[in-house]
Amino acid sequence: MNKNRAKMQKMILTAVMCILSLLIIVPLLIMLLGSVKNPAEAQQFTLRFPTQWYFENYLYVIQKGGIGRAMINSVIITVSVTSIVLFSGSLCAFVVSRRSSRYTGFVYHLFLIGMVSPLQIVTTFGLLKLLNLTGTYTGVILIQAAVQLPWTIFTLSGFIKGVPRDLDEAAFIDGAKPGKLFFQIILPLLKPILATALVSTAMGAWNEFMIPLYFFNTSSKWTMPLTVYNFFGQYASNWNYVFANLVLTALPITTLYLFCQRYVIEGATAGAVKG
Amino acid sequence: MDKYKNKFYPNYFTFPAIAIFIVFFAIPIAAGFILSFTDWNINRIFEPKFNGIKNFIYLLQDEYFLLALKNTFKFAIITTVLIIVIGLILAIILNSAIAGRSFFRTLFYMPAVLSLIVVGIVFTSVFKMDQGVLNQILAAIGLDFLKADWLGNPGTALNCVIFVQVWKWSGFAMAIFLAGLQGISRDYYEASRIDGASKMQQFRNITFPLLAPAFTIVVTMNTIGGFKVFEQVYVMTGGGPGNATQVLGTYIYREFSKGTLGRSTAMGLFLFFMISVIAVIINKVLRGREVEM
Repeated sequence: MNKNRAKMQKMILTAVMCILSLLIIVPLLIMLLGSVKNPAEAQQFTLRFPTQWYFENYLYVIQKGGIGRAMINSVIITVSVTSIVLFSGSLCAFVVSRRSSRYTGFVYHLFLIGMVSPLQIVTTFGLLKLLNLTGTYTGVILIQAAVQLPWTIFTLSGFIKGVPRDLDEAAFIDGAKPGKLFFQIILPLLKPILATALVSTAMGAWNEFMIPLYFFNTSSKWTMPLTVYNFFGQYASNWNYVFANLVLTALPITTLYLFCQRYVIEGATAGAVKG
Repeated sequence: MDKYKNKFYPNYFTFPAIAIFIVFFAIPIAAGFILSFTDWNINRIFEPKFNGIKNFIYLLQDEYFLLALKNTFKFAIITTVLIIVIGLILAIILNSAIAGRSFFRTLFYMPAVLSLIVVGIVFTSVFKMDQGVLNQILAAIGLDFLKADWLGNPGTALNCVIFVQVWKWSGFAMAIFLAGLQGISRDYYEASRIDGASKMQQFRNITFPLLAPAFTIVVTMNTIGGFKVFEQVYVMTGGGPGNATQVLGTYIYREFSKGTLGRSTAMGLFLFFMISVIAVIINKVLRGREVEM
């Protein structure tokens, strides 16, 4: 094939990619620019720069929108869900991937149900009532952990299968206990996949909308997505504030993504391709 | 050997995860089996009465439930097909050595990390009447007559929600396809090139069959995700206008808010069975297509 044609082809493909990327960039840019405009200009939804920059939109939203409280709630929930899922998930994945017994087969199939099934909202609501956990952080955190565990366990056990068993045997001969083997020898080797699981669990917990919507009844416990949704309902005509609010919600998780994207993208595929 | 295994990989390591999962996920499913056959109601939450299959009969006679069912199927099928096609095209292009490909990969994956609430609200501004972004674009290229109230029109509202799902998840599919493509050995392409295979033949006979595992994952995940749809509909249209975009997720929420818990549970259980059956079928069909590398 001649070289010029191949070069041409690549340039055309790059051009196509540039055009397609506008589909992602334009809506996000309208949001970013709109968040620092005055209400009239924000409502035009254009890519024009603001005639005057209104950074005080952010101050207004933080004061009026209850963002401070929501941010704290979101952090509490995200940190708790992530620690519970990573701790109990890695312990479970270790045993499931190292042993094959009737019990581990049962565990595997149980979590398979969790990958497929939607959360049974109404009976979960009844359960929380029964356990006296309605409207509590504990209830919401544990439900989210239960929803996220299956995926984490499958991803982690796919990785652990690739960690050589020689290490286990060496530790065994040295007389180590299972806890020591896991926490001091195996866990440090799981760092890359743990990073992946950490980022994806944190994203899932931060972005979760349905569970807090169903199970928190007081606005003082609302998380960021819920607060933003409520704010949108009240200030639907003040797009400058709505956009500022959206930016505040998206910022932490987008920053996390951009810093850890290697782990995010590779991790999304780690469990997948090994199947 | 077995003794060493039992001692070294103790079952109690699995107990915390299993306990959380059983109590907060599995028990509610099991309870759903029982409670969907009762007249469970918010006012007598601890005294449900058995009423046979009345809830299910009611559902099958409820035109809005059937509409929600139809919309859910439409949503799941159309979004899955579009996400596969777009994800695959992006992956193939970004697997070749074009300029800025890591930038494009990062960018196209980005929507997958954003909250559906953020995405849903941003696209409400895109599909708005009058000054909405889409209408502005149409006006700018001289297609004024196409301007519409995209979310307020029963004929177009569901398509808008479908668009948002495709916008959000195509990049994720791209990442999985990319990983699959990178796992295919260059030798196959070399050998077939020497035999005189065309690019199209290479795609049909090498890339496509060897991409089967990635394909299975993408189809399964997006179909399941499609049937579970809730947030973007809730935010963008609330199931409206009328019931034009009502899906099972939003309809369950509506019944739940009304307090008719038994009926809402029956719907949840229905969704559970439907998704399970479909996931099993998809896996049976697609796994059969996978070849050993």
